[in-house]
Amino acid sequence: MGVLPGHVPTIAELKPGVMTVHEGTDVSKYFVSSGFAFIHANSVADVIAVEAVPVDHLDSNLVQKGLAEFTQKLGSASTDLEKAEAQIGVDVYSAMNSALTG
Amino acid sequence: MASSGAAGPFWRAAGMTYVSYSNKCASMVRSCLKEPHRTEALEREKVHFSISKWVDGKPEKPSIREGTGGD
Repeated sequence: MGVLPGHVPTIAELKPGVMTVHEGTDVSKYFVSSGFAFIHANSVADVIAVEAVPVDHLDSNLVQKGLAEFTQKLGSASTDLEKAEAQIGVDVYSAMNSALTG
Repeated sequence: MASSGAAGPFWRAAGMTYVSYSNKCASMVRSCLKEPHRTEALEREKVHFSISKWVDGKPEKPSIREGTGGD
């Protein structure tokens, strides 16, 4: 989803992933843990996230380890809650992985 | 994009609230940070609060909870 001035007012739920901000010619990438984006009629956009970090603050070794750990947990999970937690782990770590390698 | 309106997201179906989901995601992101950002972020996870149950319209003795995030 791309947002330019004049975007239709929107409320969007964000999945864990990369948000790219363009200020003139400067581009900064942030990894957002989850959250919402509100685009208002006056072209102001708010992004609400618990954690939003510049992508280069992420350590790729820790991401790889975490991804392997949660993929394994997903295989061995039994209760619905364990499965959900493991799935969240896989989703978040995969997104961080793509952010670092993409 | 259409869904049957039955289960919603998988974590909701497993009994988790959005707040729990979002906090877990944030916790995972924090655990992947490089230093010094990691120690700064772990500070954000700390909680310290006092909680008391109410019985018959009166609060019972409050207890203090603190620690590093989680439920």
